[in-house]
This record gives sequence, C-alpha cells and structure tokens, in this order.
Amino acid sequence: MTISEKTLRSLTTSTPSMFFSLIVPGLGQFLQKRRGRGLLIFLITVTLALLIQWSLKNQGVGKVNIGTLTTSWLWLPLVLFWIWNVLDVRAFAASKTFTILPGIFLAAIIIYVIAWQVTGIKLNRLVERFNDARIVATNLLNPDVITISVQGQDQICAWKCMSKYIGDKLAGRTPQGVIRASDNLLNLIGRIKLVPASKWQVMLGLAESGAKTNQFVAGTLIETIAMGLMATIFSTIIAIPVSFLAAHNIMSRLPGGTALYYIMRGILNAVRAVDTIIWGIIIITWVGLGSFAGVIALTIHSVAALAKLFSEEIEHIDAGPVEAVTATGANLIQTISHAVAPQIVPSFLAYSLLRWDINMRMATVVGFVAGGGIGFMVVETVRQGGYQQYGTILWAVAVVIIIVDYISAKWREAILADQRQREEDPKQRRAGILRWAFYGILGVIAFIYCWNLTEISLRSMLHPGPNFVRNILDFVRIDLTPDVLKVVTQQMLVTIFQAMLATTIGALIALPFSFLAAKNLTGRNPLSVWLYYLSRGVLNILRSIEALLYVVIFVFWVGIGPFAGMLALAVTSFALIGKLFSEAIENIEDGPIEAVTATGATPLQVISYAVLPQIVPPFISYLIYQWDINVRMATIIGFAGGGGIGLTLTTFFGSLQYHKAGTVVAMIVIVVALMDFASAKLRQALV
Amino acid sequence: MLKVENLTKVYPNGTQALKDVSFEVKDGEFLAVIGLSGSGKSTLLRCINRLIEPTSGKIYWDGQDITAIPTSEMRKIRRQIGMIFQQFNLVKRSSVLTNVFSGRLGYVNTLSSSLHLFSAEDKAKALASLEQVGLANKAHVRADSLSGGQQQRVGIARALMQDPRLILADEPVASLDPVLAHSILKYLEQLNKDRGITVLCSLHFLDLVHRYATSAIALKDGELVFQGLPKQIDDSQFKAIYGQEAERVSIV
Repeated sequence: MTISEKTLRSLTTSTPSMFFSLIVPGLGQFLQKRRGRGLLIFLITVTLALLIQWSLKNQGVGKVNIGTLTTSWLWLPLVLFWIWNVLDVRAFAASKTFTILPGIFLAAIIIYVIAWQVTGIKLNRLVERFNDARIVATNLLNPDVITISVQGQDQICAWKCMSKYIGDKLAGRTPQGVIRASDNLLNLIGRIKLVPASKWQVMLGLAESGAKTNQFVAGTLIETIAMGLMATIFSTIIAIPVSFLAAHNIMSRLPGGTALYYIMRGILNAVRAVDTIIWGIIIITWVGLGSFAGVIALTIHSVAALAKLFSEEIEHIDAGPVEAVTATGANLIQTISHAVAPQIVPSFLAYSLLRWDINMRMATVVGFVAGGGIGFMVVETVRQGGYQQYGTILWAVAVVIIIVDYISAKWREAILADQRQREEDPKQRRAGILRWAFYGILGVIAFIYCWNLTEISLRSMLHPGPNFVRNILDFVRIDLTPDVLKVVTQQMLVTIFQAMLATTIGALIALPFSFLAAKNLTGRNPLSVWLYYLSRGVLNILRSIEALLYVVIFVFWVGIGPFAGMLALAVTSFALIGKLFSEAIENIEDGPIEAVTATGATPLQVISYAVLPQIVPPFISYLIYQWDINVRMATIIGFAGGGGIGLTLTTFFGSLQYHKAGTVVAMIVIVVALMDFASAKLRQALV
Repeated sequence: MLKVENLTKVYPNGTQALKDVSFEVKDGEFLAVIGLSGSGKSTLLRCINRLIEPTSGKIYWDGQDITAIPTSEMRKIRRQIGMIFQQFNLVKRSSVLTNVFSGRLGYVNTLSSSLHLFSAEDKAKALASLEQVGLANKAHVRADSLSGGQQQRVGIARALMQDPRLILADEPVASLDPVLAHSILKYLEQLNKDRGITVLCSLHFLDLVHRYATSAIALKDGELVFQGLPKQIDDSQFKAIYGQEAERVSIV
C-alpha cells in the first residue's frame, strides 16, 4: 500500500466523523468512542461561546468594529479551537497521536483575556500608586509595639528608635525618653485595669459586690484565641452525634436510614459551602454583634466540616475487629469500647486538632462582620489609617497562627503514631494520673475563662433580636427575579475569574520559589541551607495570615474592587502552593533518577524522564485544589473591599434586602459544591 | 571486557564500602556477586557505571580506564551497560512504554527526546523489547498498575533498549516472590546465552547462584573473599562469606 492510498483510506473513514465534529464540536470524538473527550470539547465550546458573548455585552471585552459589525476578536481563537477539534478527529482516525496542547492554549487565551478584563486588572495602578504602597509597607514593617515618651510627648518607637535606645543602654548612656508597651499592644494582649468585681470573686469572698478590683482585662488577641478554642470544643461535641447520622454503613441498617443519610450529607455539604464569614453576617441578626456571634459562626461551619470527616472515618471502620470482639461474647457497649472506639478516637482527635488550626485562622477574620476578636480591631484600625498599629496586629497573628499550626501538627503526629504503652510501675502510674488531673483542672479553668471572655450566653440565643424571625423568613424566600439573578450570576462569574487569576499568578511565582524551599535541593547543602530556611519562613509567615487581612492592604494600594481581592488571594495562593509544591519536590523518588542516569542520559533527559513525570501530576492536582479553595475565599473577600460576590452580599445585607441575600447564598452553595465535586473528581483522575 | 583493579570506596561519612577489590569479567559470563547486606555489592555495581564515584582504583572497559574519563564520554559507556534494580526504579506515573523509551536516551538527540519525540524505529524497538518480556499488551498502562514481577520485566525491557553488552543487576529478585525470582532470572539467562550479553548480578540466595551463574565472586565487609566457580562454594567457604552462624536455606 502506497502512502497516498493509506492517506486516502484514513481520510475516507474519518470524513463522516470530521463532518460531525464540524457541525457539533465533540460529536465526532464521541462517535469514535472517546466519550469523555467529546463531551468535554462540547461543554468547553458552549461555555466559551457564552462567556465571549456575555463579556462583550456587559464589559465590551475584546470589542472590534468590522465595518458596521461590532463583535469580539475572541471569536477568532474559538474558531481555531473548533478547527483543532476537527483535526483531532482526523488524526485519531488515522491512528496518530494528536497533541491537545493547541486546544488547551486556545481555550486559555479566551478565558484569561476575559478574566483579566472582568477582574478589572489595572497594572498601571500597581506602578502609579507604588509610593502609597511603599508608605504602607514601611508602616507595616515598623509596628506600633513600644511607645516612647520624650518630654511628655508620646511617640511610636519602632525598630530604629528601639535599636538606638538599646544601644544607648548598652553603652551606659542615659537614653532619651521613657519607654513602655504601647496602647495598641495592650489592646491586643490585655492590661490590668480597675473594674467591678466579677461574680466569681464575689462568690469566693475575694471582693464585695459592686466593689472595684484590679483585674486582667484580655485584649483582642486573647479573645480571638478563646473564640477559636471554644468553637473547636463545641463543634467537636456536636459533630460526633451528627457524623453517625451521616455515615452510610450505620444509617443503611436502620429503616429509612438511607434517605436520612442523603439528607444529612446534603445539609452538611450546603453548610460547609457557606464560609464562616457569611455565617457570621447571618448570625448577627440572631444574637447581635460580638465575639459570641463569631463563636457561633465558627462552630456552625466547623460542625459541618468535622461531621463530614468523622462520618467518612466511621465508614472506614474495619469490620474485622468488631466481628472478632462480638465473637468472644461481648455485649454492644463492650464491642463499641473495644472494637469501634480504638479505631475512630485517634482520628477524630486528629481531625479536631486540624480544625482547631483552621478555626484559629478564621477567628482572626470573623470579627470583620460579626464583631469581636482581632477582626473587629482590624476594621477600626484600618478605618483610621493606622497601618503601624495594623502592622503589630499582623505580626501578632502570624506568631499565634504559626505556633498553633506547629502544636496542632505535632499533636496530630503524636496521636496518629503508635499508642503509648501504659505505665506498669504503680509509682509512675500515680504520677501519670496526677499529671492528667493537673491538665484536666487547667483545662476546665481555661474553658470557663474562655466561656466568659467570649460572652457565651445561651439566654441571648433564646431571645433573638426583634426582627430575627421576619429576617430569616425573608432570607429563605429566595428572590428569583431575572434582574437579581443576572446581577448575582455576573458577580459569581467575577468571583470565579478572580479565583482563577489568583491561582495562576500565585502558582507562577510559587513555581521557582518552591525549588528553593525544597529540603532535598537546598536544605542539605551548608552553602544553601539559609535559602531553605528563608524561603520556608516567608511561605509560613505569608500563609499564616488570612486573605481578608491582605485585602485591606491591597485596597489601599490599588483601590477597592476585584483587583485588590485578586491580589490578596494571589498572596495566599502563592504561600500555600509554594508549600505544597516544595513538598511534592521533596517526595521525588531517587530510584528512577538513578535508573535513567544509568542508561547514559544527559541531565536534561533525566529531568524530562525521571523528574517531571513525578512532579507534574501533583502540581496540577494542587492547582485545581487551590482554585477550589480560592473560589471559597473569593466569596468573602468582598467584605473587606475585594469585590466579587461578597460585595454584593454585604450590600444586600446592609440594605436589609434579605431575600436577595438569600439568592446570593444559594448561588454560593451551588457553585462551591459543584467546584468541590469537580475538583475532587479531577484530582482523583490525576494522581 | 571488564576489569576491576584495586577498587576502593570510602563514603564521606567514613564508611569503607569497598576495600581493594580486583577481579575480571570475561565476555559472555554470568557472574554472581554474593555477600551479606551491607557487604558492598550495591556499591560495587554502581561504581562500575560510575553512579557512585570510586575513591581509588581502576576500572577497565575494553582496555580503557573509565574512572578518569569526562562525564560526556562516560554517558557513551553507560549506554552499553544496562542496569536493573531491586526496587525496579520505574517512573510510576509514566506509561510502561515511556519507561522503556528512557532506555534509549543515550542514543538520541537531547532536545527532541526531552519533548518525548521518538523515531518510528525506536518505537518499534520499544514494542519489540516489551514483546520479549511478554508485556506487549501493557505498553500504554501506567507503570504502577503492574505487579512487582511485571515491573521488573519492564526494567529488563528498558535495559534491552540500550542494546547493552553488559547488564548490571542489583538484587533484581530480592523484592519478588521466589517463583517470580526464577522467571526474572530466566530472562537474564536467556539474554546471556542467546545474545551473549554479559551479566553481573548480585544475589542473596546461594541456590540461585548455583542454578544460574557461570562464575561467582563474594564480598565480605567490602573485601573480595571468594572468586571462582559457583560449585566451589562449599560449606567452609559459605561460613567464611556469611559468618559462622549462617545456615544454608534454599528457595523453591
């Protein structure tokens, strides 16, 4: 068979399929039994077409005039995408491998051009207002921690002044002025104050009722820690019974249990899709502003998240030990305590500790809307333009979160490691009991202290605000009028694009950075080990601060709007992706590298055959994961001026249009749940 | 073809892995390297293709000392020496075919091969290599979806892509079931007998040495303690190599 004959034959067999793909993109692939690819091409084409039309109509994206016709130049890449899809069918029919890169590239052009415009990227602002940004940066780096009073005048004493003061002290000179902790620092941590005696002091006979005593009044940082702690304790306790209702292996044994299982899973997913901050704005209509509202918001979101993890853990219980213990003649309670509990308690504890970490992070920002804690202090500080004070807050948050992150990780490791052996020696055992009793009492005291500090009041839960019932009814009556739907959909699209751009930018910066932060590349060589610690340090500090706290900085720099929000998300994305990427690099196996080197390959070939195949799939998987997270975060950055759907939501809440706010929340639930599902499926296919 | 002279390797942490080892491998031999774990077998094999740089001593390949040649020339030598590993060392997420292709890297252009472009001949060769180890139908599956024995056969196919004159096998069957061990060693034996490829293979079990090897060397604490025919390893030799407490065991 000659070449021309061969081509002819492949052409004739592929012509009908090519024709189908020409009419409906993806149909040809579908008929070639490449169903997934065909469906994907079809969906992408439709989505891109809709996006081009929508962005042209609303924002004039890619507008060009050809004679009297006004259209978008973005149709051109779409036509090319269409042609690629036809060629793909032909190549497959001729049993050639055809690269998907042009298809991806063309689709990416369209999406990024639209995203760029819709997110309102104004790079010129980054440059023009750089001076403003520099002032803010200088202020943030010179936090208001110490006050110096020189001749009765109070001044902020930042690093320069501090080093001079310490230098004077060390040199034996008398330093100018007297230093003390600044009011800002005391607001953050707490101070001794003369306040009316608490009822505990009266009860214990330490003070008379109504008398004033010197007491430690906790600052917002302590309050925030208490909020995170209380929410974690409450949500763990509530999530345990809930998780049994959402465990398939338990519910399927009960009559009607399967239905209840699906309902519970549905509710948990919906509750989880709504961010803590959004719960905060809903809760304040119930119990009013304050740290208690924050605790409730944190608890609600945590219960949903924990219950899901717990129930999955219950579903994975190994039936073997249960069978074995039952076979020894044990009763139900004995079976649970000897065969079920040992399987689930350690992982439950580990998940609670993980949640503690997350709750502490969220507690730093829930005050933005719910009042209480550091979040509320941030709003007030930034409103007054106190960036030196804000600097102190950021550093304090970073320190607390890094410590919590560390403790949580260490304890989780210890819990999931092999169980410790019981002390056999009675003396040691008594010491052990004493130690646990000591911790127990300490825990109870801390619990009561936090309870008081966060103003937990069951009474206020039972006596909600006067309009609460009306507001809730209004809220669940979702407004589905076309105008509202249109606005909400548009803002949701902006939010998704923000998340996508932030993921892209974060990843682009993280990619080179992650190689510096990989222990196996920089951490083993004494000459480069400082690079490892420096880059890991930068990533950890940036990661410890929530996107909402970055938004207020970027708002000052580039102005209110989706651009500021996108930049804030890009910073958090950079930090998390950088960490995940560097861990993926650390997990590279040496074996394949050795094997490929042994074949006589050049270093470039070794990278292409032994290194890249090991890191590219996890990288892509992390990108999808980050996009998923960013969509969630993007729904709330509008609360601090970051644009997107969060802004729409605060506007509706602020103007008491609860039925419209209900539409927004419903939209968020749907989109976030879909993203969650899609990203999980995609990542499963990848790794 | 291969001659090792006074080979010594001291690791940076002070461990002396090889002490003054000298021996010679003739064309077409199936040479077994035996010894306890940690006796220096792996180090010896890796010094021969310079995955590990020897501290001192000489290695002659076709009469040329390869311990001193530059890396670009070493790559040309390496492509004549196939290597298979205890842990198979496949790229798990890549397809079987891609893993086999990687055996051809020493012969092809760096740039095009880095983009995973191969000629039709190389493609046919890869499929033929897979055919030889009975895995032609697995060419397009991911490497980690194969069983251990199958992965090791892919490892052999990868080595075959190099058109090797020598195969270094570092405990090729230590991670496999005894039954599979025979199957893998039979492939090596076949290559040795039919194609005349010299094989240098470290092994744990003396049984396997007796069954497959044409000659043997033994290492103990980095020193060469035996050199000769496999059947010459009697009980006293065995105790000298493996220590007084050792008992002979056999598999299958």
